Parts: sequence; C-alpha cells; structure tokens
Amino acid sequence: MEQTKECAQMVGSLDRKERPVDHISKPSGPGDQESGPKRPETGSPSGDNLMKRMKKVDPKQAEKYRQRTGE
Amino acid sequence: MNPIRLFGIETEYGIAREDSETADPVVESMELVRAYLDGHFTRRWDYRGEHPHEDQRGFRVTELAQDKEEDLFAEQDAHRPFSFHEMKSDLVLPNGARFYNDHTHPEYSTPECRSIKDIVAHDRAGERILWIAAQRRNEVLGGRVLQLYKNNTDFHGHSYGCHDNYLVSRTINFESLVRGLLPFLVSRQLIAGAGKVGREAQERGFTPGGFQLSQRADFMETELSVDTMHNRPILNTRDEPHATRQRYRRLHLILGDANMCEYATALKIGTTRVVLDMIAEGFVPSCDLASPVQAIQAISQDPDLKTVVKREKGGTISGLDIQRDYVQQARVVLKDIDEETEWILQEWEQVLRQLEQDPLQLVGKIDWVTKRWLLDSFVQDEGIGWDDPWLASLDLEYHNLDPERGLFFGLEADGRTTSIPQDEDIQKAMNHGPVDTRGGLRGLCVQRFGEDITSIQWEGVHFNGKNEKLHLDLMDHLEPVSVAHCRSVLENAKTPLDVIESMTVEK
Repeated sequence: MEQTKECAQMVGSLDRKERPVDHISKPSGPGDQESGPKRPETGSPSGDNLMKRMKKVDPKQAEKYRQRTGE
Repeated sequence: MNPIRLFGIETEYGIAREDSETADPVVESMELVRAYLDGHFTRRWDYRGEHPHEDQRGFRVTELAQDKEEDLFAEQDAHRPFSFHEMKSDLVLPNGARFYNDHTHPEYSTPECRSIKDIVAHDRAGERILWIAAQRRNEVLGGRVLQLYKNNTDFHGHSYGCHDNYLVSRTINFESLVRGLLPFLVSRQLIAGAGKVGREAQERGFTPGGFQLSQRADFMETELSVDTMHNRPILNTRDEPHATRQRYRRLHLILGDANMCEYATALKIGTTRVVLDMIAEGFVPSCDLASPVQAIQAISQDPDLKTVVKREKGGTISGLDIQRDYVQQARVVLKDIDEETEWILQEWEQVLRQLEQDPLQLVGKIDWVTKRWLLDSFVQDEGIGWDDPWLASLDLEYHNLDPERGLFFGLEADGRTTSIPQDEDIQKAMNHGPVDTRGGLRGLCVQRFGEDITSIQWEGVHFNGKNEKLHLDLMDHLEPVSVAHCRSVLENAKTPLDVIESMTVEK
C-alpha cells in the first residue's frame, strides 16, 4: 500500500491552543446550565489579531473563487 | 432493541490555485491527493461496492440527474493524459479513511466511528491530512498558492457536500425514517449550520446581502431523491449500505454543512444519532411540516430565529420549537440513556436555551453564530453594508485550512473555540483508525500488509496470496466483539494468509 509520511511532526504550525475538554465521558447532572464544554471568553475581535487577519482578506477573493458542482 | 452506533463523515473540500486562473481543478485535486504519498500511486480502490442508482424506496433508477454532466466530464477527462483511475487517485490511509479526487474536489471520508469523540477527532484529522498534502504540493508549486476550503459553496451557485452517514437496522422501514427525520433535519441547521452571507440558486449565481444559518439550504430542492448533485434532497434515498443489505441500511445525509467548530460536529452527529435511536424505539414526531423544502430555506434565512413554518395539519412552528420537541421526546422515548447520550441531550438542551436567550454564548461552538459575530464586528469596524462583496470573501476565509489565514483557525489559535477531543487524539487519528470499528481494521490492513493488498473498499480487503487471492470480509464486522477479535488476529498475524486462515477457522 502507498506509504504516507509520519504526520505528527508536520502539523506543528497549526498552533491549536489546547482547551482540554472531555465532558463526553463525564456529563454533569441534567439541568445544570454550566455543564459541558465551556464557551471561550469571546469579547470582540476589534483591534486584535483576528481583526487584522480579517482586514488582510482580499475583498475580491470570493468573486475569483470558482468551483465545479460537487455532491 | 440495542441501538447501532456506527457513523462517518465524507467531506468534499474546495480547492483553488491563487497564482493561476487557468489551473485545471481535476489535475489540482489529483496532485493534491498524490502529494500525500511517499511513493507512486497504485490503483487499489475497488468500485464494485458502489451502487448510486439503488433507491431505499425499493427500486433502481435508470439514471441520475447528474449522469449527463458526469458523461460530459468523462468525455473531457478522456482527452487528459491519464486514466479515470489515475484521476481519482483513490487512497486508503493507515487510519482506515478514504482520500481521493471526487468530482474535482478532494474528498476525505473518515473511517467508521462508534463514538462522538472519535468522529470529531477523525474529522479534524482529515483537515490536517489535507493541509499536509497542500503544503507538499505548494513546495512543488513554489509558493503558498494552493488553498483548501472546508465549506460548501463557491458563492456562484456551485455547491459541494459534507455528508454524514449512519448505519441503521433494516428492520426500521424507510417511511418511518423519513417521517421521524424530516422535521429534525429541516431544523438541524440551528445547531449545525456553518453560516453564509447572501443567497444562491443552483448554478444560477449569488445575490449578496443578509446572512443565513446554512451553506446548503439554498441547494435543497426536494424532500426525497436519490440524486446528489442536482435536485438535491433533504433526505437522500441512495440505498448503498456497505453492509449486509438484508440487515442494514446506510442513512446517507447530504443536506449538512461542513463544520469547523468541533462542538457543532459533535452535536450534528450526536443529535442525529439520538433521533435514529428514538425512531428505532418507535418514535413518531408530532410536528409534520407542510413544505419541508420551503421550511428549510425559511429557517435558514432568519438568523434571529423568529420565523415560523407551516405545519401539515394547520398552525405554525419555529425551528427552535421543532428541536425542543425532539429533545424533550428523547427523554421520554429513550430507555437506558448511556453517558454519551446523556452528554448529547444536556448539550442539545443547553444550546437551544442559549440560542433563544443569548446566542453569543455559542461563539466558538456553533459555526453560524461564530461567523455572524465575526462578520458583524467587521461590518461595524469597516462601516460597510451586509451586501458588501468583501463579506463573501471573509465567509470563504473562515473555512480556509491554512492555519495562518483561516479565520476559524485564528480564533482557535487565540483559544476562543471549544475543543472536544484532546489534540493528541487528533494526532493519533491521523495515523490510526478507531479501535472498535471496521474502519480501524481496514487501517490495520494497510499498516501491516499494505504491499500485499490488491483491492480494498468499505466492505473488505483482497490480498495477493502465493497461489490464490485472499479475501478478508469486513461486511459484518460491525459489533465491538467481532471487531476486537479480528483486530487481535490482524495484530498477531505474520502474513495475510495467517489472517485469512485464522478467520476461516473461527467461522
């Protein structure tokens, strides 16, 4: 079978910040509004890295993006 | 009745070359898949298990709506300097997943999973595998010019799918599945919609303005159909179980969006699995809809969730109330609620409360809420209108797999998203299948005896023997005990012949 390279070391750049949540195997009691994965502190993207990332997006990117119909 | 737990996700990715307007998407998708290989591509996928013309309603259609378009593509492909099989470049990976070029879109099909945590890990593993392939391809192309998008539209009226699949007992008749599922599926987008700016019509372009819950709702044209590329149905009727036909169905849902949020993926699969368990217990929903197609589009187009849709027997109901009815009935209908099901029900109830009271609590958990929050902030910051074409570009970029560009990945890097599996689970899923499904067995075959495999598909593996062809039948390895036994045989065998002999003796 085709050999694929060991993948693990190649995704370091993904930089996923770990938010360890494993509540699937440890549910809290029914009706507990604070149960389950906790939402992040969202605040606003204004003025932070995310807004800078958004402003870098080419305004015409979607106009240029063409795909064939898939399933 | 013991519920069956086996599901998987197939995702077609968008692919674009930013340095060339004339790049051939067939070639690009093919080269992307092959970039994941160390060596040369060898054809091994066996297409004989595919029956897209078989219909769950008990007949076989003579042609699909897309057949003419497929024939046209085939005609174009005939002029290319490679064969159909080379173009498809179908791979089975060491984790049991299928990775190939489907309809000019790179497609990643997870191995079959039994738990919600596993399916989320494998869905995300697929993103990373595709990004690795893109990095390698970009090395050849000499820059970061190839980009991949885990979304469902090109904003010009062309959609591509993210299908979720569930093994279902054949003892449940198809009419019961349809009746039990349709209202749920029409409103599932409240939880699983990926969000989209503007409106589209199948191959008839894009109208800017506004925001809707779902990427795919605009492309739903009928309630039931065996078609997948045109005349798309809310509930696809393809009858291709990839298991013993007399005992099982595969529910093949094509209406869903590709999710970036792990939490949304978990609840999309989890709530659907719960509804299937309910139907297996004889559940019939009280909320028949007068026009499911109109309803799915009306619900999608109202992100404030106030829209009500007509019921068949008079009156109206909102998407939130449809979902509430299901989750409330789940508590009544389901007996012996296990830990995973309890988690699903708790989160489902909480999401519906938050959608009604404070949707912004779901930023980083539900894609459409997250995307709307990002775009709304941008609209205010830039002082632009919701019909500004820049927003479609930002919508697209939310789904970009490039970790330095993708907006979702920007949120994730800032720690603003909610994770379900640990990162190490995702890393492991890139190279290993689930231990408790035949997906993991398929992956083990590739890991241990890959060079001996002559053909492979969902239902089995053929190996090259000395004097005979050896076949490992995976058709009925669907229960954990059977999977564990076959896994033990595969792990201890020295050759494929050992595997086949051991399994034959056991029979």
